[in-house]
Amino acid sequence: MNRDGGVARNDAAADGQPRSARLERTIGEVLRFGTIASSTMFAIGLLMTVMKYQTAVAGLLLNAGLIILLATPPARVIVSVIEYVRERDWAFVTLTFIVLLALGGSVIAAYF
Amino acid sequence: MLTATLAFVIFSAGAVAGGLGVALGLGGGIFLVPFLTLALGFPLKSAAAISLATVIATSSAVTAQRTGSQLVNLRFGMLLEVATTAGSLLGGITAQFVAESTLQRLFGIVAIAVAAVMLGRINRRNVILDATIDPGRLGGRFYEEESGGVVTYRVKRLPLALTASFIAGNVSSLLGIGGGIIKVPVLNAWCGMPLRAAAATSALMIGVTATGGAIIYYGRGDLQPLLAAPAVLGVQAGSLVGGRLAYGASVKWLKLLMAALLVIVAVLMFLRSTP
Repeated sequence: MNRDGGVARNDAAADGQPRSARLERTIGEVLRFGTIASSTMFAIGLLMTVMKYQTAVAGLLLNAGLIILLATPPARVIVSVIEYVRERDWAFVTLTFIVLLALGGSVIAAYF
Repeated sequence: MLTATLAFVIFSAGAVAGGLGVALGLGGGIFLVPFLTLALGFPLKSAAAISLATVIATSSAVTAQRTGSQLVNLRFGMLLEVATTAGSLLGGITAQFVAESTLQRLFGIVAIAVAAVMLGRINRRNVILDATIDPGRLGGRFYEEESGGVVTYRVKRLPLALTASFIAGNVSSLLGIGGGIIKVPVLNAWCGMPLRAAAATSALMIGVTATGGAIIYYGRGDLQPLLAAPAVLGVQAGSLVGGRLAYGASVKWLKLLMAALLVIVAVLMFLRSTP
């Protein structure tokens, strides 16, 4: 937790922005990108499948969309870890890193 | 295998999940799994897999919409995520000791009790109108049109919030849900969070909760992209429409909706627990 003289969490960081606001905006961008990218691939892939056009490419698009969908929450956790490191907020670096490790554990459980 | 009708039905189910996600922070898994298994005859594995994919899509779409409104409490959410993650890692152990039917009956009883508490507190708000009050390390403040200004809240009973998150993660992979149906009522009724903040924070968390299980389903070939695609597109549509509706709805109305959903879930759970 930030114990810089009992300053509340919404106080400005060095660059003049509220700390939580900067992380919130970055997270919003990551999630927006993941959502738009996966939905676009799903939409095109579905359309091609229904029209029976280039079904191999359609399958690739659908799988890529799904992988992006599954990778979006872990990406959000990764940017959180990075942001908390930048803020030297070690308690939250630890917390978010534990969550990241657990997600890594799922990948191992799925493929090994 | 994927007919236009089936694609449309899955799209609609996703739309319901997206709408509930944006209004109440639920991923909709609690309805999707029984719907896909009972109404469409999907095997439980494939239903849970599609449901988890829908929960992830809801979480990402809703949170992307919500950021900037200060409704999402990042610090509190990320703290609770650790409990959720621990719960989901231990989920397999729970499954060995508790029969699924026992779990479903327990779930039903708890859902009824929580619905009663929500209804009993329908006119009580967790918001503090004085914007100079310190929200504490985990609390927050946000602008609320209904109160006409910036409102503050403080987090109470942290151990209870952690326990509820642990349980939500624990039953997530067993039931194919994100756990919002457990977290949101508890955070609102006992832990001092206003409903909209609890919903937005839950929407953030359910994505990570569902991802662990979904990756495992995908790796083992149980999560089919062709079935996940219409659900995810449905979520997009549902969250856009639901966002407009939820923004205009009063908190009292949202609480009534939540209580009604809890009762429906309880009935569904009792129905599923009887062979």
